[in-house]
Amino acid sequence: MVLLRSVPPPSEGVRHEQAETTAVLDGKGLGAGTLHVAETRLSWFDGSGMGFSLEYPTISLHAISRDLSTYPQEHLYVMVNAKLNDENEAEMQENAHDQEDEDNSSEEDECEGITEIRFVPRDKAALESMFSAMCECQALHPDPDDEDSDGDFDGDEYDVEEAAPEHGQGDIPSFCTYEEGVSGLTAEGQATLQRLEGMLAQSVANTFHMAGVRTDEANGEFDDGMEVDAGSTMAGQFDDADVDH
Amino acid sequence: MPLLSGLFYSFFKSLVGKDVVVELKNDLSICGTLHSVDQYLNIKLTDISVTDPEKYPHMLSVKNCFIRGSVVRYVQLPADEVDTQLLQDAARKEALQQKQ
Repeated sequence: MVLLRSVPPPSEGVRHEQAETTAVLDGKGLGAGTLHVAETRLSWFDGSGMGFSLEYPTISLHAISRDLSTYPQEHLYVMVNAKLNDENEAEMQENAHDQEDEDNSSEEDECEGITEIRFVPRDKAALESMFSAMCECQALHPDPDDEDSDGDFDGDEYDVEEAAPEHGQGDIPSFCTYEEGVSGLTAEGQATLQRLEGMLAQSVANTFHMAGVRTDEANGEFDDGMEVDAGSTMAGQFDDADVDH
Repeated sequence: MPLLSGLFYSFFKSLVGKDVVVELKNDLSICGTLHSVDQYLNIKLTDISVTDPEKYPHMLSVKNCFIRGSVVRYVQLPADEVDTQLLQDAARKEALQQKQ
């Protein structure tokens, strides 16, 4: 959902609230109100209860704008990856869904579907906090269905415990949902699953140790990954190849 | 965390401080300095400039931005800052380990 007219601002998980904030939606000023940066959604409402909410997955980017020659006031700029229209938001949401289903190369359908929103607080000093709060909340909503990522089987979070039934990924023959049961795997499959879990744990551990500096540390990480795994299931997978009948 | 995504997370972290161009799925391209990246490949850029200011004039006044990872199509990197051989090797290893 992109634009919700009747959903009130959340009362829990509110990271930042900024009163006396004007909202400008695609150049159309909506007057002064309060911006609520909550963990579940971003919302803005004026005193009379009119307003809107945004789901974080629909926010392409956000930024602080300080160049007064382009816009006369410092503000928080938000780009939403859908076209927001006062009249037909329901229709627009359906369109968005349809496009995602039909279109794997979603290059063209998103060209026109942009909405630019400015949140102009009276207190300009609050912009950094507003920006940071949005960054934190965005990180809480990773995309569950990111087909463009190379190698990802089901998007940003792969957790064997709750391997979601992403049936759109069914063309990967090795993918097995947890609901089917680990027992549905062959012995080789189960060994591979254990190895993958080990690699995931190690990948997380290595990531936390990364200082963001390239060179030797990076080399070490990749080499370790290879060494740990070469000795186990890899040999098992190639067993058949070694056997001569 | 998926394996190849973890690989690119580490890779992008090594490029913090370098100038990159981020092309979004909506065709917007943003030049800037890579400030930080997180595990979902959300990207923060500083000192940004927009390569198509006519289409997105509002972006001109923005200095720093946070880009949602899932809307990124490409990240253009400075060729001399990337060890492509290392990256290819690492990606190849990860891909082999993921195959059945």
